[in-house]
Amino acid sequence: MRMMITCTVNGEERTVLADTRDTLLGFLRERLGFTGTKEGCGNGNCGTCTVLMDGAAVNACLVLAQEASESEIVTIEGIADGDKLHPIQEALVAHGGTQCGFCTPGIVISAKALLDSNPDPSEAEIRHAVAGNLCRCTGYGKIVEAIAAAAAQRR
Amino acid sequence: MDKLGRPSSDEAPRLEVLGKPLPRIDARERVTGEAVYPADLMRPGMVQAKIKRSPHAHAIIKRIDTTRADALPGVVATVTAADFPELPIGTMIPMGETGYDMWMVAQINMARRKVHWVGQPIAAVAAVDPHVAEAALALIDVEYELLPTVPHLGVAMAPDAPVLHEHVFTKGVEPRPRAPSNVCSRTVISRGDATGALKNATATASVSVAVDTAHQGYLEPQVVLAEVDANGFATVWASTQGQFTTELMVGRMLDLPLSKLKVVPLEIGGGFGGKIAIHGEAVAVRLAQKCRRPVKLVFTREEVLQGGSGPAAGALIDIAVGADTDGKLTAIEGTYRVDAGGLPGMSPSLMMQASAALYQCPHLNLVGYDIVTNKPRTEAYRGPGGIQVAFAMEQAMDALSQKLGVDPLEFRKRNASVTGSTMPIGTPFPAIGLTTILECIGEHACWRDPLPEGRFPRGRGLALGYWRGTSMTSAAHITISGDGRPMITMGAVDISGTRTTMAQVVAEEFGLPLGDVHIQTADSKSAGYSDPAAGSRVARTTTAALVEASADALQQLRVRAALRLQCSPADLVYSSGRFSSRLAAGTSITLAELMQATLTEGAIVGRGTSSNLPLGVEIGAHVCDVEVDTDTGQVTVLRYTAFQDVGLALNPMAVEGQIEGSVVQGLGWALTEGFDYDADGRLRNASLLDYRLPTALDVPTIDAVIIETPVPGVPYGVRGVGEVPIVPVAGAVANAIARATGTRVWQMPMTPERVLNALRGRG
Amino acid sequence: MQDFEYHRPKSAAAAVEALCSGEARVLAGGTDLIPQLREGRRLARHLVDLKRIPELTAIVALPGGAISIGAAATLTSIAQHPSIAAHYPSIAQSARLVGSLQVQNRASLGGNICNAAPSADAVPPLICHEARATIAGRSGQREMAVGELFRGPGRTLLEADELLTAIILPPPPTRSAARYLRFTPRREMDIAIAGAGVWLSLDTRGSVAAARIVLASVGPTPMRAHAAEAALLGEQPSKALLIEAGRIAAGESQPISDTRGSADYRRELVSVLTKRALSDCCVQLKAEGAIA
Repeated sequence: MRMMITCTVNGEERTVLADTRDTLLGFLRERLGFTGTKEGCGNGNCGTCTVLMDGAAVNACLVLAQEASESEIVTIEGIADGDKLHPIQEALVAHGGTQCGFCTPGIVISAKALLDSNPDPSEAEIRHAVAGNLCRCTGYGKIVEAIAAAAAQRR
Repeated sequence: MDKLGRPSSDEAPRLEVLGKPLPRIDARERVTGEAVYPADLMRPGMVQAKIKRSPHAHAIIKRIDTTRADALPGVVATVTAADFPELPIGTMIPMGETGYDMWMVAQINMARRKVHWVGQPIAAVAAVDPHVAEAALALIDVEYELLPTVPHLGVAMAPDAPVLHEHVFTKGVEPRPRAPSNVCSRTVISRGDATGALKNATATASVSVAVDTAHQGYLEPQVVLAEVDANGFATVWASTQGQFTTELMVGRMLDLPLSKLKVVPLEIGGGFGGKIAIHGEAVAVRLAQKCRRPVKLVFTREEVLQGGSGPAAGALIDIAVGADTDGKLTAIEGTYRVDAGGLPGMSPSLMMQASAALYQCPHLNLVGYDIVTNKPRTEAYRGPGGIQVAFAMEQAMDALSQKLGVDPLEFRKRNASVTGSTMPIGTPFPAIGLTTILECIGEHACWRDPLPEGRFPRGRGLALGYWRGTSMTSAAHITISGDGRPMITMGAVDISGTRTTMAQVVAEEFGLPLGDVHIQTADSKSAGYSDPAAGSRVARTTTAALVEASADALQQLRVRAALRLQCSPADLVYSSGRFSSRLAAGTSITLAELMQATLTEGAIVGRGTSSNLPLGVEIGAHVCDVEVDTDTGQVTVLRYTAFQDVGLALNPMAVEGQIEGSVVQGLGWALTEGFDYDADGRLRNASLLDYRLPTALDVPTIDAVIIETPVPGVPYGVRGVGEVPIVPVAGAVANAIARATGTRVWQMPMTPERVLNALRGRG
Repeated sequence: MQDFEYHRPKSAAAAVEALCSGEARVLAGGTDLIPQLREGRRLARHLVDLKRIPELTAIVALPGGAISIGAAATLTSIAQHPSIAAHYPSIAQSARLVGSLQVQNRASLGGNICNAAPSADAVPPLICHEARATIAGRSGQREMAVGELFRGPGRTLLEADELLTAIILPPPPTRSAARYLRFTPRREMDIAIAGAGVWLSLDTRGSVAAARIVLASVGPTPMRAHAAEAALLGEQPSKALLIEAGRIAAGESQPISDTRGSADYRRELVSVLTKRALSDCCVQLKAEGAIA
């Protein structure tokens, strides 16, 4: 079935025709073109599709597009301020925290959710915050280092 | 030694851009989500493809009928093996040292007459949306005749085993066997009399290990987008480690002239060896040809794991080693049974060599077998076979040092290979820094610090790793833009920060800031032939190609500059973007001025190709501290330090990134990652929930220690980097467990249950 | 994936109405249901979303010290709730064990119960605390113990048109402590190979007055280890006693072998986890002065 969905994505209200079965991930990628959010497993086991939904980090593959109706969604495309990267993004660049880049958008979102609620996280807290985001390239060390640096810079 | 690796009496030039820990030049598009992977592309009129896969591990396909699927509204095309030319066994395409058998590649992409594993493709469908495509798969009727399953090596090697391939007779056995076998080949590497030396040894140790099939675990599932234009020209946007290999494979599978085919490599969300061969690219093109619409094929994670892509080989390995009273190795004996999966062709030769390469030993006898089972055909994974064999060999060496009562580092020092000592294949080692590494470990805190007390037993393990790597071919060219800035076009796919390090190379060669250099990985119609990004070769060979291309471009510029400045080319000195006359002070011209003045004189294109570059063998040694929960068998890695000789670190941050990531992949296979097949050949853990890649909570921060022993005859002395840091990991962890508990774990991954069983003396 | 109609009722009563549409399923967090629908493991023609019904997402203190958790309250809201963290720490901690933070931000306590996975981490501590489930249906409300809801893997006693609306936590008695431990090969993002929830209540002399032990992943439903509980009653909790309770619990468990672990390993884990969870309770009770 087809139906209209209205939600706010990165501050802009969008109304789009969707399939009733669309996940939020498919809706964002295929219907709205926000392809920065990735699909790595489709089952909530890898975190590459992490977005903020009403301020909370969620796996977009485990949310129906219809559930997002009237919600505020922030994707990776909504994190930087124009050309000015968010401190988390800056730090991931500077510390080598991105390699193949497929997990990176999800990592940025999870890190943002952490720092928004905990401006001074310990290493253990940082590792806990990104435990739902698998990374196969970096071994996590440089990601953790980058998030710590971003937190220090924001304080 | 100068930067070209030639012996030089002058002091080596100081490096300005190379050797600096610079951020990736493509990092911003990654952190903003702008980097484009093939799944992110949309084309007008695009349809979605899905693959129908075999639910059986071993069966004859009696009949496939797509009539009902074709009739479903929204279905625009279907294909089966009948839509592809039949390629005989041994239809080779060139790639690197061995080439690729297209019969095998065709079987991976579309089974013909018989299936050899669960998940092998048997048909494909394109439809207007994925929901329709999914529904259509159920309407493809297939009739199978089931055959007995060969689920593992034990069954495959039994004398009365069902045979997977009637045409396979064991190679390397005299006289030639009369009956077909699941054992495809026997390989022997031997010198001296290992059996006799073991008998006479003062101390011996032996281990037998079983390693599960595992997966590369790239986070981006296989994806392809194919489009065919009105002239029949096909464009393939792929997630691939090699656009030229993909082009050759697709062309051969479809009998399509390469003048009608272009492969565009986009960003690749991890490959690690698993994206060298094609997995659906030719199928997507065939569907696009049939329906004349762009076709996107995206694998699900379950497809990636359950037979849609090649995992890494499992193995059964037996090692026996012996030493004399001085603690010097006298003999190494090894048997390597490698589980190739459903199609033959995993030669164990390289992994056999790798396992013994770092030890000087007079008597050696290694025997390897390539064996087929009803599992997905295995493919490369980061130093293919290296971690499996080191899991066995490094445990044997550790056990031998315990028997001798010698410190494990001291034992390695006594027996380590050095520059000029004999490699297993009989040739002498080129310059290697193993001795330096071992000395470095002895002085490092990770070895000297006492292990802090814990709630459970703790231990420290040491293991060595070797990987030969390869060189193969890389081509690149440099054009000079109108403002004098160099633009690099290379055939190498970037899987490890290649664009950054190669831009650094050219910036260094031209004496320009990194930001003045533009670099691109080009499609298969826009760059010279380059082999895939594999075998720790890209940075080395592309560096060589770019040093040559830079010299070529600068020579062309020099001739032009001489004409403008009315002097002889030999009288000009080039430095930092400017040619100056040696003879007339103040007479000079910048590259920008030169190009502005000579734009009408034709393009400057500097070309470079590297093949047959000397090998840059990779050597590493790892030290690992663990704690073992003796009630549950859970192993916690407390501290991990990886020492590696990289020749020259072109970009230390990128090198550390390769080492740290590689170690964590190794920790995954060492502790939690293994495929679990049932007796019918079905994978029981085909999800990222039950196939457990390590999370950020499962590993410590990896400490990488870089050692630099340049390779002679190689520009900047660069060694391979990316593969060897996975090799020692499981051995280091196993040795740490053994030191903590007194128990050797013989199964990999060393899951908590297996560790507990070992501790309890079961299984 | 079969097509379906999506409903977003504004009240529990309206949700019950919508559930009567036939082949309807409750959609709470969706973290289990959505993959199940996609893979065809569950079917539905109507999905009834509970997340916008305030009465079903609220966590409220009831007169007399009990707490009512709306069935659609997220695991994150439970883990972060100050009263739950203070008085039912094992419940708050178990909410933090389910999936990743992303999953906890969506998944609900009611969903963790109604999905009826034997491995559900949030369930054993609820049973330990004798939590009760409030169920609404067309014919009215009923209440039953959470521990009695389960029929088998994926199956509960709820009728198709019934809705779990809230979980009521009775006030914990003084001199009591609870703990849930589970074992997974990874630290997080994993499913329990085995889990053990325990609850201990001591009398004034420090002997065990009451005990509850609930095991996860070792039977078709979360299961009580009654014999192990009985062995503790009236005893001073010595180290030997806790080990013995673990051993008895292991004997009571009914695990199967699957890709996550063999039956033998699961039994061994039950023994270890039960002992460790009991021991943690004793440490807490000692800190509170309930054990000399």
